[in-house]
Amino acid sequence: MSFLIPCPHCGNRSVYEFRFGGEVKTRPQPDAPAADWMEYTYTKANEAGVQKEWWFHRSGCRQWLQALRNTTTNEVLEAFFPE
Amino acid sequence: MADTSDQFTFHFNGETIEARSGDTVASALYRAGHRIFTRSFKYHRPRGLLCLAGKCPNCMMNVDGTPNVRACITPARAGMTVRHQNAYPSLDHDWLAAVQHFDRLMPVGWYYKTMTHEWSWHAAEPFIRKVAGLGVAPEPGNGSKDYEHAWMHAEVAVIGGGPAGLQAALELAQGGAQVVLVDDQPELGGHLRYRKRAGAIPADTIAQLRSMPSVEIISRAYCFGLYEGNLLGVLQANPHAGAIERLIHLRAKRAVVATGVYEVPFTFENNDLPGVMLSTAVQRLIHPHGIKPGASAAIIASSAQADEVADDLRGTGIELVTVVSPDEVISAIGSSHVTGIRTQNGQFNCDLIVMCGQRVPDAGLLHQAGGKLEWNPERGAFLPVDLPANVSAVGEVTGASLSRAVPLPPKHVPFHKRSFVCFCSDVSTADLRDGISEGFDHIETLKRYTTLTMGPCQGRMCQLAGIGVCAHETGRTMAETGVTTSRPPNPSVSLGALAGPRHHPIRRTPMHDAHDQSGAVWMDMGEWKRPRYYKSGLCDGERSCVEEEYRAVRERVGLIDVSTLGKLDVKGRDAGRLLDKVYTNRFSDLKPGRVRYSVLCDEAGIMLDDGTISRLAEDHYFITTTTGNLDFVQQWLEWWLVGTGWDVHIANVTGGRAAVNLAGPQARDVLKTLTACDLSSKAFPYMACREADVAGVPALLLRIGFVGETGWEIHFPAECGEYLWTKLLEAGKAFDIRPFGVEAQRLLRLEKRHVIVGVDTDALSNPYEAGMAWVAKLDKQDFIGRNALSRFADADPQQNLVGFVMNDDAVPQDGAAILVDGALAGRVTSARYSPKNGKAVGLAWVAAKSAAEGAEIQIRVNGGTARARIVQDAFYDPEGERLRM
Repeated sequence: MSFLIPCPHCGNRSVYEFRFGGEVKTRPQPDAPAADWMEYTYTKANEAGVQKEWWFHRSGCRQWLQALRNTTTNEVLEAFFPE
Repeated sequence: MADTSDQFTFHFNGETIEARSGDTVASALYRAGHRIFTRSFKYHRPRGLLCLAGKCPNCMMNVDGTPNVRACITPARAGMTVRHQNAYPSLDHDWLAAVQHFDRLMPVGWYYKTMTHEWSWHAAEPFIRKVAGLGVAPEPGNGSKDYEHAWMHAEVAVIGGGPAGLQAALELAQGGAQVVLVDDQPELGGHLRYRKRAGAIPADTIAQLRSMPSVEIISRAYCFGLYEGNLLGVLQANPHAGAIERLIHLRAKRAVVATGVYEVPFTFENNDLPGVMLSTAVQRLIHPHGIKPGASAAIIASSAQADEVADDLRGTGIELVTVVSPDEVISAIGSSHVTGIRTQNGQFNCDLIVMCGQRVPDAGLLHQAGGKLEWNPERGAFLPVDLPANVSAVGEVTGASLSRAVPLPPKHVPFHKRSFVCFCSDVSTADLRDGISEGFDHIETLKRYTTLTMGPCQGRMCQLAGIGVCAHETGRTMAETGVTTSRPPNPSVSLGALAGPRHHPIRRTPMHDAHDQSGAVWMDMGEWKRPRYYKSGLCDGERSCVEEEYRAVRERVGLIDVSTLGKLDVKGRDAGRLLDKVYTNRFSDLKPGRVRYSVLCDEAGIMLDDGTISRLAEDHYFITTTTGNLDFVQQWLEWWLVGTGWDVHIANVTGGRAAVNLAGPQARDVLKTLTACDLSSKAFPYMACREADVAGVPALLLRIGFVGETGWEIHFPAECGEYLWTKLLEAGKAFDIRPFGVEAQRLLRLEKRHVIVGVDTDALSNPYEAGMAWVAKLDKQDFIGRNALSRFADADPQQNLVGFVMNDDAVPQDGAAILVDGALAGRVTSARYSPKNGKAVGLAWVAAKSAAEGAEIQIRVNGGTARARIVQDAFYDPEGERLRM
């Protein structure tokens, strides 16, 4: 694993500067059904293709960002700060 | 021709070897008459120079204490010490060579067939470890020489310093690109260094490249991997006198692979005898090194290459006894060196057999990068095709100039136990046949079963021949048989280089020197150094010192440095809102001047960290985290802040703030001599915080009690660390104050049954099962982990974190197993001898049904079992009265 992530602050940087934060998921409302919470807490889509992920630029600007990464090629299509 | 004016010597197995400038270790040894360079991995057969290009395993030696160094590409240096490997007593007379007479007892898959019982492996392992293998790893801690890591960036990385690589580098550099050129040989020039007919080394190109500021040349460095994002792993030998190897992380926008071709041997009986050499190796001995490799030679060739080598041989005065085609060869003759060759045309005496072998593109990097290797029958090789973007191949590695040396798959394979395909692990044609007949007929399974291509040469010498044998035996074509996958590192990389320099960052608290003067015995906690306990005149050994420190805190007063705590300053209008969302406890209603404890859970309700949070002002909180979790907690808080638009600012003030905990029944008496702050329980109750000067230092005082006594955690500027530490000890002198270390603190807190997250809890621990239900405020509308925690609140616990007291004087170790009715029922997380109880006490996870108050459990201690009783309350001051005094 040695791909680059185009940090919106710092530019193209080695993945080793980042901490992986998992898939971007939508957190259910507090009163959502238990099934939604189970899905959110324990299930990962683990997409074979492009998925949206959290990354933290630990050795750079120390910001959380999101990236679109193709999990089969490790190509990062885009990285951005979430709204 | 090597320069003869500059001569020097080095040591080889106690012998003094004369060498010339330009010599490699191998060329100097060869000139001095040495022919056996190694003993083979399994059978201890003598092996001599084969490729002389750093591609084969035959010349690996110990150089200045570093094992498995390829002597043929290592320049000789004056005074170096070279030793042989894996032979006893010497290379020439290796007793273990007797092993080869038992080769029939070691069929392919020998391990799988013989090590069928645990005892058979245990019986055989010590012997196998001694007999088989390569060099011996150096003793740890021998740090006279070191390994380095370096990082480089290039617009274009050119791999290979032969004519194609040099040309490509020059053109790219002239076009304005910033170029890094990597070459694994002692000198640039590639095959032009030894093939006279191919032309002269382009000295002007090399000079031009050396003069260009945009070009960097890394010599004696091989590229072992081409990874994602065009990251090249480059290993440079002896970058300078102080380093053995330098691992360069080279990131390039484009990679140009110009690794050329290498020559591979033919398979026939005794093809591994010293004196059987590849034609390019013979040429290397003759041209750059000026060595006459033998007296009389036979050439095995079917290619035009034979003429070229024959010319070279005649030029040195070697008698050429015969030229035979590969399919006419029966065997090499000789026991420790070639004395002749047996062919279908008769037998010839010679001391050198020159193989003009098939040339194979060195395309491993291209394969790793995602390119495919496609069989080309005319060229007799697998050629790289379908290269990914930003990776290209130039020169002979493309296969453009190759011609077939022998038909593949071969029409006839000489199956023999001494006809070696793999020189690294002594795999013969007969072994491959046997493996295939046992069902391992796919090239990948055949590789795994026989270890073909898995040795130090990583298939360079054996892959093509192995595929040929596999195709021949299975009746498939070369294309159908295919190649094994090329994975980095290839060739092999030393573990020392991968591990890199031994840089362990150390963090010291501002009071470090003061601790040292007090006799601190240090322990590591992450990067931090912390006093484990203090050796003083009053105690000897850890147990008595810790007990002395313990008594000081319980009976008088003690002082501990807690500067390593993570400290976060959280400010902003919405600070309380964020803490309410992330921590399980409630903080928005915390009054300024008060402190509250909380744990931090993930969405699954698992405890990640704990700490105290003090509210200093309406919009200002101060958080402490456990020593190792600071980064995680800060990132966790910031993560949940993303996208909320809340007004919260988090600053890590850990390094800027020192902290101590002054605790004990007389802590107040000590502290009040240094501060004007009213310390009475009425003005400054338990779980309150105040900002006040202590000995003139602006400080934040938290009245909390991890160790179970009246005490204050004092946070103050790090630059005053040693000053205030000393002031407090001076003020405490009248009360016989003692500094205490981590061990005493752990004992003190254990008596109070205070949990250390990460020690007493793990990735399955939730607050309910840990007996800390009160810390989860489920009446908050939402917080991280609330959903899971509300389910835990309603569910029956599966296990409980309980306290226990031993029945006798046994002291269990942390992690000891717990048994109930003879069945495993849990484990100890912390246990210490408690002076208060006169017995060991501890915390343990126990299956819920066995975790009732007063229940008896058994704990594994020293191989036996000892009995203990479950106690739910704290072992010391369960009502917490002493904290409030």
